[in-house]
Amino acid sequence: MVDLSGRELSTEIVESCRLGDRDAFRALYDLYKDRVYSISLHFFHGDPAVASDVTQQVFLKLMTSIRQFRGDAEFSTWLYRLVVNACMDAARSRKTQSAISDPSRMEAFPAPGSQEEDYVRAQMANSVRAAVSALPPKFRIAVLLRYFDDLSYEQMAQALHCSVGTVASRLSRGHKILAERLKGAAGIKG
Amino acid sequence: MLTRFTRHISRQLAAHLDGQLVQPQAQQAEMHLRECARCRTEREQVRRGMQIIEHLSLVEAPAALWPSIEAAIQENRSRQAPTVLLWRWAVAATLLLALAGAAYWRFAHPSGTRWEVVRLAGSPSGGGKPIRGAGRIGAGEWIETDATSRATVKVGEIGSVEIAPGTRVRVVTARPGEHRLALARGEIRAKISAPPKLFFVDTAAGTAVDLGCEYALSTDERGFGLLRVTKGWVSFQWGGMESLVPAGASCRTRPQSAPGIPYFEDAPESLKQALESFGFEKSGGDALGVILSESRVRDTLTLWHLLSRVDAADRGRVFDRIAALTPVPAGVSREQALKLDPQTLDRWREELAWTW
Repeated sequence: MVDLSGRELSTEIVESCRLGDRDAFRALYDLYKDRVYSISLHFFHGDPAVASDVTQQVFLKLMTSIRQFRGDAEFSTWLYRLVVNACMDAARSRKTQSAISDPSRMEAFPAPGSQEEDYVRAQMANSVRAAVSALPPKFRIAVLLRYFDDLSYEQMAQALHCSVGTVASRLSRGHKILAERLKGAAGIKG
Repeated sequence: MLTRFTRHISRQLAAHLDGQLVQPQAQQAEMHLRECARCRTEREQVRRGMQIIEHLSLVEAPAALWPSIEAAIQENRSRQAPTVLLWRWAVAATLLLALAGAAYWRFAHPSGTRWEVVRLAGSPSGGGKPIRGAGRIGAGEWIETDATSRATVKVGEIGSVEIAPGTRVRVVTARPGEHRLALARGEIRAKISAPPKLFFVDTAAGTAVDLGCEYALSTDERGFGLLRVTKGWVSFQWGGMESLVPAGASCRTRPQSAPGIPYFEDAPESLKQALESFGFEKSGGDALGVILSESRVRDTLTLWHLLSRVDAADRGRVFDRIAALTPVPAGVSREQALKLDPQTLDRWREELAWTW
């Protein structure tokens, strides 16, 4: 999973956001923006325009409705529920507009630090991104949620509007499909 | 012992590797894995998949995103209060008046606060008085628009509702935990940014329950109307029955009857006509046949709702059509689905919803 050390959300930040504190909003945004953007980006086949749009929607919705967040669930669970809803809405809207996504056309967006000498590593990362992108949406979102934040299966179940058993099943199948698709791929460890 | 050796644990392997299985399931999984080569192989595949995903990197969100979000927030705030200073003076100046009026307020409006109503066009009225510019309305009061009037209501802190021409709508409850309107006739367009089940609209045909969404709801005095969802989900409920309507879909409403079966607006016309005929005229067989044959994968939204609305004799046909369009997931059996087992139907809906 992505290293989250040093990134903690305090209840004070959430409380300050509820009171309309701009600096607290910014702190909250800084804490989660890359994770929300990365999930959206990998969910939408590396399309930065859709990922930006989804990220913006998520934070606008979060900031306009945070006063209704009653603390009866983990904040991150609520946030990722917004992410899942926004991804599903955007996917549905793209489907309605007949903008059929073709994972094979996924843009090779640059990984941080990738340079000439990291060519092989970058190729490898692109293979993984393409394989993730080709996963059925329900497996893809589950795999991305697990990877980009340290959520329990219970929290993922709430974010995905499904049972814990369904989360476990989707993660098992999603990761198995990834392993099958990248079987024998050069440079892929594991 | 039978379970340990005969039931494979493919579905639980990720949870097992992530340490998310609780006892005794964790121990049972361990015992099964010791005996079952197939599950051990699958566990290694899942483990390898988990290692593969580690190649994905966290991508930094574009720097331009925050300014656009902040601008939108500022715009939102400026609509609520022109300046902080003005707001503070306003608070200070009205504090005594507010305190003095509180007792009267409690007495006169037991169901919460008053919402702002803004005239958009023509001559709307609120609480029996014309709205010139902006006004306030509380529980028990009506908003009315004639054929040329429009207004918008700020629904507490959670969103807004636009009132279309020719509409009569009443504020039923205006509390932070429950925001409820009663739409007698006409059309409203709601934009709600809040956790689910905080905003409700009653009509003569049932209640629209917000699940985090944007939608339009129209009705006549008798309850014949249409719900169209443009974002998120809405549940339309009547008499213990429910239609779940996602973005891009609609459902008809009708009095003293189950909520209409939802359909996607881009569904084939023949399907929509057959659905109308099936739902309202109970014409049965022919209409059902057309619905089944014309359905696409996405129209499993309609078929899933039909499953619990058709006669028991036709239920198998609906099940088979869904199964032909998209694989039946693990945990959903034909037998349980035909019995309308709630857990089975929920499980199936969860899977199907990914295609909606």
